[in-house]
Amino acid sequence: MGSLLRVDMACLTVKKEPVPAGWAKYAGRALTDAIIFAEVPPKADPLGPANKLVLAPGLFGGTPAPNGGRLSIGAKSPLTGGIKESNVGGQFAHSAAKAGLAAIIIEGRPADPKALYALDIDAQGNGMLNRVDDLAGLGNYETAEKLHAMKGDDKLVTVTNGPAGEMLMKAAGIAVSDPHGYPNRFAGRGGLGAVMGSKGLKAITIPLGIESLPHADKEAFTAAVRKFANALKEHPVSGQGLPTYGTNVLANIINEAGGYPTRNFSEGRFEGVEKISGETMREITLERGGNVKHGCHTGCVIQCSRYYVHPDGSYWTKGSEYESVWALGADCGIDDMDGIAELDRKCGDLGLDTIEMGNVIAVYMESGKAEFGDVQGALAALEECAKGTETGRILGDGAEATGMAFGVERIPVVKHQAMPAYDPRPIQGIGVTYATSTQGADHTAGYSITANVLGVGGTVDPLKPLGQAELSKNLQIATAMLDSFGLCIFVAFPVLDIPAAFEAIYEMATAHTGDPWDADALMKLGRETIAFERLFNESAGFTAADDRLPAWMLTEKLPPHNSVFTVTDAELDSVHDFVAETAAEMGISKP
Amino acid sequence: MRIELALFASLEPYLPEGESASGRRTRMIDLPGGITVGEVVARLGLPDQPRVCFIDGRGVREDAVLTDGVRLAIFPPVAGG
Ligand code: SF4
Repeated sequence: MGSLLRVDMACLTVKKEPVPAGWAKYAGRALTDAIIFAEVPPKADPLGPANKLVLAPGLFGGTPAPNGGRLSIGAKSPLTGGIKESNVGGQFAHSAAKAGLAAIIIEGRPADPKALYALDIDAQGNGMLNRVDDLAGLGNYETAEKLHAMKGDDKLVTVTNGPAGEMLMKAAGIAVSDPHGYPNRFAGRGGLGAVMGSKGLKAITIPLGIESLPHADKEAFTAAVRKFANALKEHPVSGQGLPTYGTNVLANIINEAGGYPTRNFSEGRFEGVEKISGETMREITLERGGNVKHGCHTGCVIQCSRYYVHPDGSYWTKGSEYESVWALGADCGIDDMDGIAELDRKCGDLGLDTIEMGNVIAVYMESGKAEFGDVQGALAALEECAKGTETGRILGDGAEATGMAFGVERIPVVKHQAMPAYDPRPIQGIGVTYATSTQGADHTAGYSITANVLGVGGTVDPLKPLGQAELSKNLQIATAMLDSFGLCIFVAFPVLDIPAAFEAIYEMATAHTGDPWDADALMKLGRETIAFERLFNESAGFTAADDRLPAWMLTEKLPPHNSVFTVTDAELDSVHDFVAETAAEMGISKP
Repeated sequence: MRIELALFASLEPYLPEGESASGRRTRMIDLPGGITVGEVVARLGLPDQPRVCFIDGRGVREDAVLTDGVRLAIFPPVAGG
C-alpha cells in the first residue's frame, strides 16, 4: 500500500504519511471519499482553506491491469455544494502509483493570494512546492509546454489548472496530460479547477515512471489480466465500436432514440446530427491524416481516444468526446464539426468543463444573447470567460448561474450541475441517475443508457419508469466500485455481459494485493463508497428534495416521443435504500 | 410499401443502392407488406452479430412487423459516453 502525500499550502510543506489501517482496501474514488469524509467539514466553504483537493489512483494504478489507470480527483464541489469525485484518464494515476503514492492531499491556502505554485513530485514520491508566478493566466497547453521545458523532461506527466480555475469559476476542471503530453484529459465536472485555483496551485508534475508495481502473486495476476483483456476485446462495444468510432459513435443512436437534447433540451432530435456524428468525425479525421485510435493512458486496451486535427493534419484538440460534441454542438444548435473542435479546444485551454459550458452557451442562446447555431456567438461567449469580464464570470459559473442571471426558466441542472447528453424524458433510466447521484447530473455515475437504449446488460423500456430505479441503483454501486479500482467505466459494457470479465476484476485484485477479493467484496466496496458520499451530502444540507429533476421535465413534453419524466419520488428515494445499513456496518454516521 | 432504412457505423456498407432519404446513411426502399425487421436484416445480409433496431425511434425486437412509411434504423452494438 502506498503513502499519502500531504501538501499544506499555508505552511508550504509537503510530507509523506502512511495510509491509516482502516482504509487499506480503499483506492481511487473510495479513498478520495474517505479522506474528504474524514477531513473536510461538510459545511466548509468549497473555495476556503478548509476544503481539500485529493488525487488518488485506483487500486490498479501502476499495474498493467487493462484500462486500470484512471485517476479520481475529489473535493467538496463549489458547483454542487456536495462531495465530488471527478474521474479522469491520462498518465498521472499510473505515475503517482509507481512513485508509491496512494493519494495526494492538497490543503490550506497560501498567505499570499497572488502566489502560484507547482507541486513537483519525484520518482520516489517526494514532493516539493516551487513558485511558478510566471505561469499565471496561461492556458493548459502553454502551461504544459512550459513545464516540459522547465524540467527538460519530454516524458513529464502534468496536472494543470487553466485560467478559469485561477479565476475560481465553478465550471473549471483540471487537465491531465495524455501519453503524448497533451493536457487534454479532464476531471471536468463540478468545479475542481476552482478548488485547485483557491489553493494557489497551478500544476503538479511527476516523472512518467517505468517499473510497474510488484504483485503478491505475479502468475495469477498475469492470468487474470489476460482473461480481462480477452473479454474487453471480445465484446463488440469495447472491441469494435469504441476503438473504431470513439465515444461519439453514440450521436446517431441517441438521436434515433429521440433523446439527443437539442437547443437547450427543447427537442430530442437534432437535424444536423449527421454532420457531427462519430462516423463523420472519423471520415474527416482520416481524410486529414489524423490519429483515430489510441488510449488516454498506457494499458488501455479499448482505445476510444483520438485526436481531431486541422485541415493540414496538425493537432487541434482531443477528438472531441460524444458529450463535448453534443454540448457544444446539438445543444447549441451547432452542426459545424470544425467550429465544435475550436470550442472544445478553447474550453480545454481555459480549463472549462465542456458539458457545463455547452449547457451554459445553450441557456445563454435561449436568453437571446446569442443565436442558436452561431459558432462565432459561442466563441465570443467563451472569450468573455477568457477575459474574466462580468458576463464571463457569470457564464464560467455554470448553466444555473447563467440561467438565473439572464432570465431563462429552462435550466437543465440537478444539484446545480448541468445535464449531459441524454434527455431523461425519453430515457427515464438516466433521469434516475441524474436525480439521485451524489454528484449532481452525471451520466457516468450510473450509465443506464445501457439497458435503456443500447441493449447492453438487459433491456428496459426507456419511456417507462418500470425497473429504472433498480437499474440505476445497481449501476451506481458498480460504477463506484470501478472508479475505486481505477478502471475506465467503459469496461462496464463487457462486465455487464460477460461473466469472465467481472470475475477477472476480483482475481486481478486478489493477485495484486494478496488480500482476498470476491464478487461480494467488490459490490460492498461500491456501496461503502456511495455511503461516504451520501452521508457527506446529507451533512452538507442535501435532502430528498435535491434528488429530483427540474420540475419542468415533469410537465414539458419532449418531441419526438412527447414524453415527460414519470419515475415517482418514492422510486427515486428507493435508490439509496442500502445506505443506512451500509453505514452502520462501516460504523460511520456523520463526517 | 416504402420505408426509410438507416444503417449506421459498421453497418453502413450494407446500405442498398437507391435514393437517399433524410441523410447519407439512409435509403428509401420498397418492401413487401407484412415483412419483419429480421427478414429485412436477412435480405440486407447483415453480419450475424447482436444489433439494436428502432422503428420510428422506438427500440424493437426482430419479430416486429414493418408498416408503410416507417423509418427502420439499425445499429451494431455501440456505446460510449
Ligand atoms: S477506453 Fe477510452 S476513456 Fe477508457 S481508458 Fe481507454 S482511452 Fe481512456
